[in-house]
Amino acid sequence: MSEQVDQSKRNMLFGAAGLLGGVAALAAAVPFVGSMLPAADTLAASKTEFDVGTVESGQLVVIQWQGKPVFVVNRTKELLAQIDGHDEMLKDPESREIEAVSAAWMTDENRKYRAIKPEYLVVVASCTHLGCIPMYKATKGRKDWGDSVPEDWPGGWHCPCHGSLYDISARVINDSPAPHNLHLMPYKYTGETSVVIG
Amino acid sequence: MLNSIMKTKLFAWVDQRTGADAIIKSQLTEYAVPKNLNYMWNFGSLALLVLVLQILTGIFLAMYYKPSAAFTSGGYTVAFDSVERIMRDVNFGWLIRYMHAVGASAFFFVVYMHIGRGLYYGSYKGPRELLWIIGVVILLIMQGAAFFGYLLPWGQMSFWGATVITNLFGALPVIGEYLQQVLRGGFAVGDPTLNRFFSLHYLFPLLLAAIVGGHVHALHVVHSNNPEGIDVHNAEEKINFHPYYTVKDAFGVGVFLLFYCYIVFFNPQMGGFFIEVDNYVPANNLQTPPHIAPVWYLTPWYTILRSFPDKLLGVVAMGASLGILFLLPFLDRSKVRSSRYRPIFRQMVVLFFVTVIILGYCGHSAPTPTLKLVGQIATAYYFAFFILLLFLPKFEKTKPLPDHI
Ligand code: FES
Repeated sequence: MSEQVDQSKRNMLFGAAGLLGGVAALAAAVPFVGSMLPAADTLAASKTEFDVGTVESGQLVVIQWQGKPVFVVNRTKELLAQIDGHDEMLKDPESREIEAVSAAWMTDENRKYRAIKPEYLVVVASCTHLGCIPMYKATKGRKDWGDSVPEDWPGGWHCPCHGSLYDISARVINDSPAPHNLHLMPYKYTGETSVVIG
Repeated sequence: MLNSIMKTKLFAWVDQRTGADAIIKSQLTEYAVPKNLNYMWNFGSLALLVLVLQILTGIFLAMYYKPSAAFTSGGYTVAFDSVERIMRDVNFGWLIRYMHAVGASAFFFVVYMHIGRGLYYGSYKGPRELLWIIGVVILLIMQGAAFFGYLLPWGQMSFWGATVITNLFGALPVIGEYLQQVLRGGFAVGDPTLNRFFSLHYLFPLLLAAIVGGHVHALHVVHSNNPEGIDVHNAEEKINFHPYYTVKDAFGVGVFLLFYCYIVFFNPQMGGFFIEVDNYVPANNLQTPPHIAPVWYLTPWYTILRSFPDKLLGVVAMGASLGILFLLPFLDRSKVRSSRYRPIFRQMVVLFFVTVIILGYCGHSAPTPTLKLVGQIATAYYFAFFILLLFLPKFEKTKPLPDHI
């Protein structure tokens, strides 16, 4: 019997069966891998509504959007004034390096504010280095913060993990380990002060 | 194909460090199997397949299942809601859960066929006694795993099933109450019970996988029985496991998957047989559902329990009905293995299969006086079968065995 085996035909059958079996195994893997992606209720929770009017002037609150922290700052006139005059200290003063730091509504005038309404800054609160939440150190200079910030501190954020610094428009300052400005996320105003994030 | 892989340099490298060549030869390509195995011998490999399916789907379900009886704001419980979330929100969650639930029934179906084949062809007899005993251990662990798993959705059947079964242990003298509290982690089935059952439901399949390894190893030492039930010595009477039986097993897998997929996709609850209707009602510790019965694969033993008017006696009988399986190789001392050559045994064992089905039917139905009587008669035969085996060789005239297959 073994003399009469047509090996090439047998190999063809093995190959065909193996191929189809492989296709079936791949298809069977789809639901399993698919099940590990975000579930429908997780996706449904991907929008957050917030009333920025509830933030006191000069204050910062951290809210959640898709489980991620988001900074909302009510910037006073003084804070807005701190945005200007230190562009040479910034890695990306115009927020153009990557898509995540800019937005469609940015015009040449409001680019530096990085906000639809300059007084309310809304940014993703994760340090672009490795994701810690930076500390809010809004006032200028070392008066309130000691030597945790540089002498010419323009006011902004200081990341506790590896020392990245951001200015009051959340733009990263030179020599920080963080590569980019804090990211923006899509948001829009649905009223005077009510904002929908996501 | 395997041959050409085994000729590669890479394989030689692995072989030098693992002895893979010798293992593959002794366990697959040169592992000799009687050439006359019929399709009843497919159920062993199918059981292995279902075990793998159960472990795989279980791992993915555990990513979303939450074992907590704490109440949610919706008025249900965390566990119940997490199962519903798997069904509605998790991608393919419905599919994976149905695969798991149908898989449980498929597992028992396949294993019961496997056991039935062993009984019919006398596969439990020497030299395969230990192989059989390991198999009974596997059955018991499966039943445990199924029982623990059934509590997890935290529905009415889950809750009251667990209440009834843990109460069984409470019927035992002296240690009963203690044992019951160890199982429940409290004075009634509750949140601690749910947590530990989840832990054990995850543990038991791991035990199962290890013991199945032992079962296969024991098989490969004593080799497969065959429908004729005689020892085969001649090389012409045997063929190698690979490729001949791997191909036949693969064909069996194809047929099995056809049925399995049909049920999973079109009829996952099997009219309340695979997933009981009452389990879609959240657990309520203040109200028992009007008719409570275990899932089909446990009903035969449930009937044995119900057949005795005395609580302790019922529990002991149920334990004995499983325990007696361990003794089977020693109760049946006939030299002839296969039913084909044992006319009386053949009738007895077929009647035994029918009896188990009747017991299952009785356990699944609401108790009535008639069914109770039927159940008692069936229970009596269940035990009589084993006792009669002791005396059978004295008066059974076996047919002459063939010399070869
Ligand atoms: S995470 Fe912020 S500096 Fe490293």
